[in-house]
Amino acid sequence: MSSTPVIDVERLNVKYGDFHAVRDLSFQVRRGELYALLGTNGAGKTSALETVEGHRPATSGTVRVFGESPRDRRAVRPRMGIMLQESGFSPDLTVRESVRLIGGLTQRVDTVERVLGVVGLTGKAGTKVAQLSGGEKRRLDFATALWGAPELVFLDEPTTGLDIGSRDALWDAVDRLREDGSTVVLTTHYLEEAQQRADRIGLMHQGSLRREGTVAELTRTLPSVIRFALPPDAPAPPLATTREPDGRLLAETFDLPNDLYTLLAWTRHHGLEPQGLEAGPTRLDDVFRSLSSS
Amino acid sequence: MLSIARSELIQIFRNRLVLVTSMIMPVAVSAYFLYQHETFESLGSLGYIAAIMIFTVGAFGLYATTVTTLASRRQNLFLKRLRSTAVSDAGILSGLLLPVTVIALVQVTVLLAVLAAVAGGPANVPLLAAAVVATVAMLLGLGLATAGLTNSPEHAQVTTLPISLGVIAVASWVGISGTEDLALLKRLLPGGAATELARDAWNGGAALGDSLLLLAPTLAWVVVALSLASRLFRWEPRR
Repeated sequence: MSSTPVIDVERLNVKYGDFHAVRDLSFQVRRGELYALLGTNGAGKTSALETVEGHRPATSGTVRVFGESPRDRRAVRPRMGIMLQESGFSPDLTVRESVRLIGGLTQRVDTVERVLGVVGLTGKAGTKVAQLSGGEKRRLDFATALWGAPELVFLDEPTTGLDIGSRDALWDAVDRLREDGSTVVLTTHYLEEAQQRADRIGLMHQGSLRREGTVAELTRTLPSVIRFALPPDAPAPPLATTREPDGRLLAETFDLPNDLYTLLAWTRHHGLEPQGLEAGPTRLDDVFRSLSSS
Repeated sequence: MLSIARSELIQIFRNRLVLVTSMIMPVAVSAYFLYQHETFESLGSLGYIAAIMIFTVGAFGLYATTVTTLASRRQNLFLKRLRSTAVSDAGILSGLLLPVTVIALVQVTVLLAVLAAVAGGPANVPLLAAAVVATVAMLLGLGLATAGLTNSPEHAQVTTLPISLGVIAVASWVGISGTEDLALLKRLLPGGAATELARDAWNGGAALGDSLLLLAPTLAWVVVALSLASRLFRWEPRR
């Protein structure tokens, strides 16, 4: 297996006139990885992603995909599948015609029947795109991205507008692509998807990459939290706490098991029952919040 | 490229509005010129009828459809979708424009053949063919440039008017009044030299060298249109 990264971005800048959308962005995606590029609204992830896909030129910096410039469509596109954020299919063509056209133009080999089967649109093959629901259009888009099982797949907000069943089916299909060795680059607003599936996450804010790492690495930097409520006449708890708007107490800790044990031993000793008890590691949401407020 | 062309052909025939405005309307207008060919021959000449039919199909069919199609494919992000595959930009545009171009060429050929059958054939067929090809190239280039200034298919109904009405006006003026006076102006206007070329090719009597020179202004317009198009054409909607 080659150690060259599938995607290599170095000091990428993208500007539109006076607007600096992406600033000095550097990251790599290794073969077989699922890399999630996440960010607040307007963080520059779509600009970054579209530059890596080859849709727009870099203002400065270098982007290499499979060691080639992504602008060289003939060299890189046959090896990558792209699911765009907005569908872009002709309303007058049927599902079958759309998949055959776009799939065929990737120069990979596959059949309409197989990919429509994978995304669950077999029954809609003869339907015009104009008559599809929003979720069905997303699945059609996914069908063209996975045509011919590409080595690299871009999924830009893939599950927006999908119901739970379609969402699970999409992730099953992504899992199968990954079993066959595909590399996946994902953007999503559903942080739990990234938390569950990404090998590594890059967090963008205001055009630059603020944090990067595995979910564990990202959440480790922030403390875990314990929330609980006590009766008004209870003595002061053994942990440093602050009061939440809902009246509960909040304790932050870098040693969740020990501090939770201390708290529960203390309540039992005093014959108290903590109400509304919640304890858990920091979620990606919290990393996000700390980013946007910094 | 051919698969894009095939899908484009399917879309043209499924969208009745495009079919009627761009395919049937110009033929209907031309049919009137054919039906009244004696009247229009006395007004101008048979060469004038040939030229005005070429420009009717070219301006209202080919040119207007080119602009409408490209604006529509851009607006619904179909162009971006095509650009996310391995096809080159030139391949995408060729594929999208091949069907309308072939349809326009077939229409012009049939209309001119009917004119020849009912009123007598052209003096110089290769020269007439050159006039048709040069006109088609010019209008395709102008179509690409206009598409850059057009945001939606509805908007195309406005943005195509100056050039489609303009070239028809020029073709009528040059076709009927000839180029005895104001020759330079008439030849430099878009479509003027092509009209004179088509007229001379049909009527005969002009020196071949002079006729070939008339290709130059039309080809210059092709160059102007393409350089405008390379500056104005957009692949994605404005954000």
